[in-house]
Amino acid sequence: MKTSAYELNQLRFGYHDTDIVNIDHYSINDGEILALVGPNGSGKSTLLNLLSFITTPASGEIRYFGEAVRQNMQTEFRRRVGYLQQHPYLFNTTVIENIELGMKLRGINRQLRHGRAQAMIEQLNLGKLASKRAHELSGGEIQKVALARILVLEPVVLIMDEPFTYLDKTFTGEFEKLLLSIREHRTQTIIFSSHDHLRAQLVADRVCSIHHGKLMDEAHVNLFHGKYSKEQGMFNTGNIDIRLSEVDDVEIIAIEPTQIVLSITELDSSMRNRFRGEIVSLHARNDHIEVTVQSGEKFQVIITRAALEELGVTIGSPVWISFKSSAVRVLRQF
Amino acid sequence: MNYFTQSFADAFQLILALDEELYFVVWTSLKISVLSVTIAATLSIPLGLLIASSKFPGKSVLQSILNTLMALPTVVVGLLMFGLLSRQGPLGGWGLLYTQTAIVIGQSLLIMPIVLNMVISAANTADPRIRSTSIALGASRFQQNMIFINEVRFAMLAAIVASFGRAIGEVGIAMMLGGNIEGYTRTMTTAIALETSKGEFEFALALGILLLLVAFIVNVFLEKFQKLNK
Repeated sequence: MKTSAYELNQLRFGYHDTDIVNIDHYSINDGEILALVGPNGSGKSTLLNLLSFITTPASGEIRYFGEAVRQNMQTEFRRRVGYLQQHPYLFNTTVIENIELGMKLRGINRQLRHGRAQAMIEQLNLGKLASKRAHELSGGEIQKVALARILVLEPVVLIMDEPFTYLDKTFTGEFEKLLLSIREHRTQTIIFSSHDHLRAQLVADRVCSIHHGKLMDEAHVNLFHGKYSKEQGMFNTGNIDIRLSEVDDVEIIAIEPTQIVLSITELDSSMRNRFRGEIVSLHARNDHIEVTVQSGEKFQVIITRAALEELGVTIGSPVWISFKSSAVRVLRQF
Repeated sequence: MNYFTQSFADAFQLILALDEELYFVVWTSLKISVLSVTIAATLSIPLGLLIASSKFPGKSVLQSILNTLMALPTVVVGLLMFGLLSRQGPLGGWGLLYTQTAIVIGQSLLIMPIVLNMVISAANTADPRIRSTSIALGASRFQQNMIFINEVRFAMLAAIVASFGRAIGEVGIAMMLGGNIEGYTRTMTTAIALETSKGEFEFALALGILLLLVAFIVNVFLEKFQKLNK
């Protein structure tokens, strides 16, 4: 059996009688990358604060690697988690002092912490910034230094609040590379929040949605692993070939379900990806219908009720799906 | 006019001649004010942080009172402390009246509201991420406070400089609780008052110039510190 990094039991937290987080049972495995998705105000940040032991639950229990977290031990548990906040703050000292601070708080001696900070600075290419003061840095540099300050602590669990939304665009690529290397070596458990399901599932092993404080695991949709051929501009999933906009190399792609067009006959349009298939399931979700189409690979398409009625299709109907190559999202690879 | 310029010339002569009596008064003033500021800051910084970070009924009333107390007239503090420390007062048995200790206690009480107010306002206006970041980095409660004080160090230093200015320049408390005893509790301000009434204008003027000089040096030091830390 896999060990659990977290076991949440009957966990509750709220303000003024309103539950922000209300989880009966949930566990997060050691070494997995878990994405927490949900709209703004769904309780993502509150849950991350609970998981990083910054706030104490109103009731219920968190077990961290099998150990029950007691209120008087919060600081000790907090030191075993690295938490990157949405808008990180750097203290008004130099970059290297910022990076060393967490180690200093843990009583690590000067020589050791200096060595580790230097290694981290090299790893993240921050050499030029080391002796600069925090207020001299740009937004992207601040994020990078804040990440270095967390990573240098080598936390077993890394928690990040909306890393993709607020990360500087120039740093996103490097950041993804870093996540992939962590994922490859399975050295850390990573939990991050995102309001972008597709982006989240490109990086995460498991995507979990949060609605009204409750957690629910979500299936990966339209996520395909495969090989990319640059000459042909085609991504081969093993079953079908999907045409992409020009990229260098990619192993995982995802397609937004709302960007796929469903039709009875083949469309004569600029959409270069067109596949014939068959509807295998229909699910009503809020005002929309989730249509699953088998066409070599399973595609999920989201359409309105009215559109479904207009098409007059049901389970077993033959259909065509089409999407632009620009609708394909890729996880940048290096 | 001649009298005025002559007094200035004599005053500078006294300063340059390193007149012993003059510098002893300066030394007494500095000692008392530094001690008062140290005591007031040591008590008020943690207390101010505690007030700012906690919620309790009457907090806003307390803050209004502290604001009012910033403008506390020194003679009122002198008067109240005189009542407490005089022979017939409740603390008369301590025998502190007309000692340097009495002035230090009075001045500490005078400047505590200044430091408290400035610390509370620094804590209220500081970036909330200072605390959340230090918590997330695993700081203990004590470490969080040390990090916070370090982050708002300019505000803290400004509070200290402002209260030092108030302490070294006040005359009511030093006069009423110290008694202006020569060679013991005579401070720059009480000496200026006395020497002027005695007609020793140049001595008073020399002290006045030195008082300004002390204030100037303290402010230059503050500015240098801020530049160094930028």
